[in-house]
Amino acid sequence: MMKTFSIGGIHPSDSKISKDCKIEVLPVPSKVFISVAQHLGAPATPIVKAGDTVKVGQVIAEPAGFISAYVHSSVSGTVKSVGPRKDLAGNNMTHIEIDVEGDEWVEGVDLSDTLITAIPEDNKAILEKIKMCGVVGLGGATFPAHVKLCPPPGKVADCLILNGAECEPYLTSDNRIMIERSKEIVVGAAIMKQVLGGCKTVIGIEENKPEALAAMTAAVAQLQKTAKGYDGISVMTLKKKYPQGGEKQLIDAVMGRQVKSMGLPIDVGAVVQNVATSLAVYEAVQKNIPLITNVMTITGDCLPMEKQHNYKFRIGMPLSYIAEVAGGVPEQAAKIISGGPMMGKAIANMEATTVKGSSSLLYLTAEQTVRGVESACIRCGKCAEACPMGLEPFLLQKYARHNMTDELEENAVQDCIECGCCLYSCPANIPLLDIIRIAKGDVIRIIRTRK
Amino acid sequence: MEKLLVSPSPHLHTKTSTKSLMRDVVIAMMPAVIVSVLFYGWSELLVLGVSVASCVLLEYLITKYLLKKPCTVCDMSAVVTGVLLALNLPATTPWWVVFIGAVVAIGVAKMTFGGLGQNLFNPAIVGRVFLLISFPTYMTDWTRPQGFIGGGIDALSGATPLGAVKEGGIAAIECLDYSDMLFYNIGGSAGELSAIALLIGFAYLLVRRVIKPYITCSIIATVAIFSGIFWAINPAEYTDPVFNILTGGLLLGAIFMATDYVTSPMSNVGGIIFGVGIGIITMLIRYFGAYPEGMSFAILIMNSVVPLINKWCHTKKYGR
Repeated sequence: MMKTFSIGGIHPSDSKISKDCKIEVLPVPSKVFISVAQHLGAPATPIVKAGDTVKVGQVIAEPAGFISAYVHSSVSGTVKSVGPRKDLAGNNMTHIEIDVEGDEWVEGVDLSDTLITAIPEDNKAILEKIKMCGVVGLGGATFPAHVKLCPPPGKVADCLILNGAECEPYLTSDNRIMIERSKEIVVGAAIMKQVLGGCKTVIGIEENKPEALAAMTAAVAQLQKTAKGYDGISVMTLKKKYPQGGEKQLIDAVMGRQVKSMGLPIDVGAVVQNVATSLAVYEAVQKNIPLITNVMTITGDCLPMEKQHNYKFRIGMPLSYIAEVAGGVPEQAAKIISGGPMMGKAIANMEATTVKGSSSLLYLTAEQTVRGVESACIRCGKCAEACPMGLEPFLLQKYARHNMTDELEENAVQDCIECGCCLYSCPANIPLLDIIRIAKGDVIRIIRTRK
Repeated sequence: MEKLLVSPSPHLHTKTSTKSLMRDVVIAMMPAVIVSVLFYGWSELLVLGVSVASCVLLEYLITKYLLKKPCTVCDMSAVVTGVLLALNLPATTPWWVVFIGAVVAIGVAKMTFGGLGQNLFNPAIVGRVFLLISFPTYMTDWTRPQGFIGGGIDALSGATPLGAVKEGGIAAIECLDYSDMLFYNIGGSAGELSAIALLIGFAYLLVRRVIKPYITCSIIATVAIFSGIFWAINPAEYTDPVFNILTGGLLLGAIFMATDYVTSPMSNVGGIIFGVGIGIITMLIRYFGAYPEGMSFAILIMNSVVPLINKWCHTKKYGR
């Protein structure tokens, strides 16, 4: 019996059109713009100025707080300017503009393909490396990885869960790295497992990725046979259901435990990291490579097969440049999404640049994405059936429209994970999540001020 | 691509719409409609036609000229009400009585509350009960009109099985054959004719995930248990469970009317409470009440407590 999470969930078509497209390396453009806000938490502070020369992998911005991260240059060349530039939502954020000259890396970086399976013994040094290399969670939230790997005092990790669910339709970058970089991912997992005190490690992958499942299972078996420190790692096949890759849902699916409201995964002994994060940890710890690359999917039903891609990109590349290299923006595209179609962001500005967590350029046609006209709620309850947190969106939206914050809190609006299942399922096209998202922000603010 | 669309997530949407759900309900009622037309002929077609046409027309006129709101006829909910109302009436009902039923169903029970989604009571049942009380002679005239097939199967002409029990005691139905009732019942509303036709519709609704089985199953189970206990104690006075499930529009009500989204509870637990309530009230009316059939009244009574049920019964939340 394949496992999955116990409450709600939906089954949209998975549309993994680009699942067989091998990872290609994007050529470096003549100019990059590297944002200082590529992670959850405080934007980093730039430490370079116009005129400085930088190498690939050199630190160009330092963390500005506990929850923050280092940012490294993804190219070698001269810093042209440090100043505001619009991100993909159209908001101003400090970017470091670099004119590219050659491809010269900093000292000490191992760019060879050799797999290093021996895990360093010093956990402190490992954590320091992860931090210094600017590794953040690549599953969507971009939470600094070293913070998650240091459980607060008194909390013990029982299980490290590697998130290979990739439950968002269309996205295939995790699928590709699991197929092409499976051993590196397993080494990364073993490193994190050691840091967490040698807990059990489960790699959760949805059933619709048989190749990835096979590759990861083989990699685990081989490393367990040939190297030390790989015991207790296993691969688990999960039933296909959205949002399986949601942290809370994955913990429920894999461990059968539920995180309390407003609680953290570590409260139930869980640490969840994406497979791409595991790869970044491997590169940081074993190869000294900072997080300046990631893999993104270029896809959409309106793209012909030869224009579907999985690209290894460097941070700071303009999205318009990537679209151009990939074969241009299709005529029929009405909306371009960065991320999956369920939780990704609609791109307002194609001149924005890639960040550590970029995962896709997804082209949707008007027919696919334009919402229908809102009509009366017929009280079918499909939103409540779909909600993976067991909330009642029909009720929350009613309270939200009347600003009834007490009732909203009582009915757990603060637990909403914004997965979009409710809005997706509503036959009356009621903008449930739009309304609930605003109410959730208000209620969380109220809860915080109370504390 | 001149300008890019920008909106909050999610960017995809299900293909299921209010209209597609209502269309599925209409499709699910088709087996029952076809059986009733085959057995009751032209007069049943007339009832169906008048009922659907007047429900749709009334909704159109009311939204356009009275409420001055966007027209909601296209969502097909008025068609569902029309077909349901027709299936709840004897095939011999005069056209003007059907029309009055439609006026009450759409005009009073649905649009006065604010239209689809706002009504407290199931419109078709309100229409039917209004007619039952206002025109009892028409509504209990079960003479069988000539159908397209099967002309001579009136074992009990002039009364429904439940009516016969009310008047003549349990002896009046001794000649009934349940296997006949599965395929074509013996008198009653058009929609009560064939249990099999109704069950096919139920299966369709379940497969298409239009409804969940909780309400329907809890009604049937409650009726079976309730009547089973009484029948076991005194089979000479009380009718048996199979008889109670197959007669009196119980299946029609349990499958198509109690499961109406708008007038039933939102949660699964609420649905079970709702269903058990309907089952108990139906059997209380059948065994001890003045009317031979209690399904319509039971659904209306339980409709009225749905807001309370919704207030008490919530979904199971994650991590709480």
